[in-house]
Amino acid sequence: MFNQDITPYQNLSILILVSFAFQSMLMPIMLTEIDGPTGWITILIAAVLLYFAIKSFNKTMKIHDKETIVGVCDKLFPRYISKAIGIYYILMFLTVNSLLMKDFAEQIKLMMLFRTPISTIILSILLTAAYATKKGIQTIAHITNIALLTALIPYLLIIIFSTYYADYTNIFPIYPADTEGILKSVPAAMLSFLGFSVLLFSNCKVSVKDKNYRLNKRFIIISSLLYIGCYLLILVKFGAKEAANLVWPFVSIMKFVNIPGFFFESTEMVGLCLQMTVIFTGICILSYFTNLAMQETFKTEENGFFIYIQIPILYLMAAALPGMYMMFPYIHMPVYIISGLNFLIPIFVAYAGSKK
Amino acid sequence: MKGIKLILILIILLTSMFLTACWDSVEINKREYLFAVGIDKEGDKLKFTSEIPKIIEGSEEERIVNTTENKSFADFYNVSYLHSEKAISDRLMQVIVLGEELAKDGDTVKKIFDEIQRSPQMNRRVKICIAKGRAEDIINTEIPANPLVGRFLSDMLVKLKRESYQEIYTFDEAILHLGQRGNAMIPVVEINEESLKIEKAAVMKEYELVGFLETDELESVMLLLDPANANLRNINIEIDGITMAIGAVNVSMTDKINLKNEKLTVDYYITLYCYIDSFIIGNNSLEDSNFLNKIKDESIKIISERTTSTIDKLKSTYKTDLLRIKEKLYKYHKKDYEKIMNKYDEVFEKASINVHYNMEILSVGLVK
Repeated sequence: MFNQDITPYQNLSILILVSFAFQSMLMPIMLTEIDGPTGWITILIAAVLLYFAIKSFNKTMKIHDKETIVGVCDKLFPRYISKAIGIYYILMFLTVNSLLMKDFAEQIKLMMLFRTPISTIILSILLTAAYATKKGIQTIAHITNIALLTALIPYLLIIIFSTYYADYTNIFPIYPADTEGILKSVPAAMLSFLGFSVLLFSNCKVSVKDKNYRLNKRFIIISSLLYIGCYLLILVKFGAKEAANLVWPFVSIMKFVNIPGFFFESTEMVGLCLQMTVIFTGICILSYFTNLAMQETFKTEENGFFIYIQIPILYLMAAALPGMYMMFPYIHMPVYIISGLNFLIPIFVAYAGSKK
Repeated sequence: MKGIKLILILIILLTSMFLTACWDSVEINKREYLFAVGIDKEGDKLKFTSEIPKIIEGSEEERIVNTTENKSFADFYNVSYLHSEKAISDRLMQVIVLGEELAKDGDTVKKIFDEIQRSPQMNRRVKICIAKGRAEDIINTEIPANPLVGRFLSDMLVKLKRESYQEIYTFDEAILHLGQRGNAMIPVVEINEESLKIEKAAVMKEYELVGFLETDELESVMLLLDPANANLRNINIEIDGITMAIGAVNVSMTDKINLKNEKLTVDYYITLYCYIDSFIIGNNSLEDSNFLNKIKDESIKIISERTTSTIDKLKSTYKTDLLRIKEKLYKYHKKDYEKIMNKYDEVFEKASINVHYNMEILSVGLVK
C-alpha cells in the first residue's frame, strides 16, 4: 500500500532538505572549532570525501537497485552483520532525529511558546510528524517538495536580507588557515550531510534509477554549495569571533533582518516559521527512513506501524537529551563515531559488492 | 462505521472552534508600547526612564514618561508590569539611550548589552545612542514639533546612518563592532534648546566610554573608514581675502599597511574630487590655474591638519583603533599580526599613520 515510488527529483529534494536541517543545527560546532573563517574548506573536504563514497556505492546500488543498504548487506554478508548494520542505522536515525526534535522544540519554546512545557511541544511535533510518516514516502516527498519551494527558498532569501550592513571582508584571513581545526571539524561537517545516509535507503524507492544516480552526486554538490553559502553569510554578518558565541546562528541572523518596506514588524518570526517548516519536514523524513530501516532489519511486510514504536522512544530520547548548545562540549566523540560509521559502512559495502 | 466517522468529524469541528489560540490575547488599547528607554546609573542600581505613547484615537500625539529604579532590564519589565494596568510591550521600542556615567562603567554596559542580546523578544534593530549627560534628561525633553522622543531620535539616527554621518545606529551594529573589534563609535545625543541634536560620536573601547569625537573629527574618521560613502561637509578656505567653499563629490582611497619589527606604518592616499560651491560674483580668478592650485593647497592643508589631529587623539588620548588597522592586519597580514597581537595597543600608540591628500577640482560650477 505504501510502496509507491518517488521521482529522482523528489529524492533530491528529500536529501537536500534533511541535510539542510542538520547543517543548520551542527554549524556551531564548525564555527567554534575553527580559529578563523575557513570552515568552508572543511565543508569542501567533507563534500569531496562523500562525493567519492557515493560514486563507489552507486556501482553496488546499480546491481542491487531494488534494495536498501540493509537489503544489500543481507545479500553480501552473513546475517548477523547485516542485522548489526540495520540496527546501527535504526539507532543512528533515532538519535539524530531526537536531537533535531529537541533542538527544534527548544527554539519554538524560546522564541514563540514561552509558557508551553517543552514536553508538550515535543509531543505535538511527534504526533503530527507520525501522521505524515505513516502516509508513506510519496506523502513525505510531496511535503518535501512543497517545503522546499514555500519554506526553504524564502527562508534563505530572508537570511540573505539579514546580511544588510554586513562586512564582506570577514571571509578573510584565508591564509594561514587553522589546519588542525579544519581537519578536526571534518567529521561534524560530514555528519551534516545526513542526506548521504538517507540516500542509502531512499534510492530503492526511486522510479528512474539511472537519473537518480547522477542526481545523488549532484545532491552533494548542491548541498555543499548551500552549506558554504550559509556559512559565509553568517560569517559576513557576525564575523568569526562573534559567530562562535551563537547557539543558533540561523535564528540569531534572523533577528537582524532588515528588509526595506517589509510590512511585518517582526520579520524574524516569519523566518522562524519558515525554518520550522523545514525542520519539521526533516523530522518527518527521518521518521520515515527509521521505519524503513526497521522494516528492512526485521523483515516485515510494511513499515507504517513502526511509527508507534518510534513515538515513545523519540519522546523519551528527546526529553532526556540536554539541549544541543549544552551538548557541544561533549559532542565531539559521538560525532566522530557516528560520522565515521556513516562514511565507512557504505564504502565497506561497496568494496564487498565489487569483490563479489 | 459511518456514524463513528460522523461523530469524529463533529468532535473535530467543535474542538477546532475552541482552538482559537487567542485566550491570552491583549488588545492594542490594553498595551503600553515602550518607544524609548533611557538608562542611567544610580548608585548600584539603574534608573530606567521610559517613554510610552498614549494610544487614544483621533487625539494629538501625547506620551507618558515613567521613571523607575531597577537592577536589570528584566527587573524593569517586571516592576513596570506591576505599576500599570496595561501589558508592557517592547516590540515597538525605537531607541535606547545610555547615560554618560553609565557608559563609563564597562561592566554595567556589558551587562545591559548581554541582556538585550540574550533576550529572544527584544529586537536587535532597536537604535542606540549615548546621552551627553543624563539619559533621563534626553527622554524628558519636550520637543514641540515631535513630542515622541523615541521617534525623533529613531528618524534622526536612520537619516544620519543613511548619509554616512554616523557609523552605527542600531544595537546590533554596536554589539557586533564591540564584539569583533573591541571598539565602536556610538552616536551622542545632546539637548539643543527645545530639541535634541546628534553631532558627535562616543568612543567606546571594551564596552567603556573613553571619550567623544567632535563633528569634524567624526567626519575625518568616517572618511578613512568608508571613503566611497563619506559625507564631507564643505571645506571653507580663505585665499587673497576671498572666502570660498569647496565641496567633495567623490572620494577615492587606497591604503598601505606595513608592520616591521613592531613598527607599524600606515599610509592612506586619498583623492578628493571637488566642485567650487561658493565664490564671488564678478571675480574671474577661477580661470587662473595658479589660483586653482592655491585653492587645492589651502584645502589640503586644512583637511590634513584636521585629520592629523584626529589620528593623534585616537592614538595618544583614547588609545583606540577606530580606523580598524588591527582588523586589516588580522585579515590580510595574519602572520605579522600574530607576532604583536598581545601588545597591539602599544604598537598602535607608536604607529606612524599618515594621510596623503590629493585634490582634483572637477568643475567650478555653473558659472565661471
